[in-house]
Amino acid sequence: MTIVIGFEGSANKIGIGIVKDGEVLSNPRRTYITPPGQGFLPSETARHHRGAILTVLREALDEARLKPSDIDCVAYTKGPGMGAPLVTVALVARTVAQLWGKPLVGVNHCIGHIEMGRLITGANNPTVLYVSGGNTQVIAYSERRYRIFGETIDIAVGNCLDRFARVIKISNDPSPGYNIEQMAKKGKQYVELPYTVKGMDVSFSGILSFIEEAAHKMLSSGQCTAEDLCFSLQETLFSMLVEITERAMASLWLSGGPDCNLRLQEMMGVMCEERGARLFATDERFCIDNGAMIAQAGWEMFRVGQITELPDSWITQRYRTTWR
Amino acid sequence: MAAPCDPDQLEFALAVPFPSQWEASIAVRSLSPDREPRKGGITRTLSVTENILSVKWTADEARVLRVAIASFLDHLALVMETMDAFGQSVPQ
Repeated sequence: MTIVIGFEGSANKIGIGIVKDGEVLSNPRRTYITPPGQGFLPSETARHHRGAILTVLREALDEARLKPSDIDCVAYTKGPGMGAPLVTVALVARTVAQLWGKPLVGVNHCIGHIEMGRLITGANNPTVLYVSGGNTQVIAYSERRYRIFGETIDIAVGNCLDRFARVIKISNDPSPGYNIEQMAKKGKQYVELPYTVKGMDVSFSGILSFIEEAAHKMLSSGQCTAEDLCFSLQETLFSMLVEITERAMASLWLSGGPDCNLRLQEMMGVMCEERGARLFATDERFCIDNGAMIAQAGWEMFRVGQITELPDSWITQRYRTTWR
Repeated sequence: MAAPCDPDQLEFALAVPFPSQWEASIAVRSLSPDREPRKGGITRTLSVTENILSVKWTADEARVLRVAIASFLDHLALVMETMDAFGQSVPQ
């Protein structure tokens, strides 16, 4: 029996989860929500995490009904992510690891998502579409490593959606992406946007610039509604994601794919059905950043003896997805 | 506190007492791994003597020094709060 506690705080969520051999014992989380029109900045986000982390840690232990001495290993997000929030979380992880006399494991955030997805869906050897505010990658396991088959060459798909939400002042509560998804359902008109797939890779920054300009012009002249723009943006971005995922699958003959936007799941579902592949999706408890996913990846690493010595436990804002 | 040895360099020294050397050593190991985010213009050294954590910065500009110290103090406070909240159960 191995019990691992995981600390996650690479972006605007601070989460701590405890995992015991594939069972999630607790997974509390707090989200730093900014006013409409504003993104989350590193230093303010770090301040939010500093204010919440010890309460969340207490909750994680209480909910799991565990004492620190029951824990075998402390896992934390080493990267990628925003520097200041990452440091905040790493400081607490390092300190409790020493106070409790437990080994420390630095986890790649992207691997955390993949390992959690594997645990929750039971998918054996998936092709994974990993999309978030900071990352857009099509990943699969090949020749003893996770490898990136396709990715964004500029900004993440979530970043594109978040920044569009800021332009037209959509609420960040519970998340800009969720609110765009709801508005998109009421869209009636498709506004043509650039479509930028480059082989296995995608590019979103040009689409963002285009829609920013179009939004100001078309909304003020009444040519379309904000709902139409949400719908058009989602359809365009998601089609691009489906295309690169399909291409990765074609070269691998495998299946998979997370993210909690229902429209994206629907589009992926159609593509997978046409290919005779199975689509696995996780729900918002586990596809949104959380501590249990870091605990789960940490559990896997700890079991094969990969621990991080304190002098090597620095955080890193850039971190390629290549573990195993 | 400042006693510049290089005439162009600013220097700042901080001494933080902990209840024991055990806590001071934990703090230094928690605070050391991350280097200063800037590539140059500032250096930081941490050390422990008995129960005292000592930190020394040298920097080219006061602005850079101020930012580094402010962020260090935030980090230090968090480590100390963590010890207060979760440290009692493990004397060694």
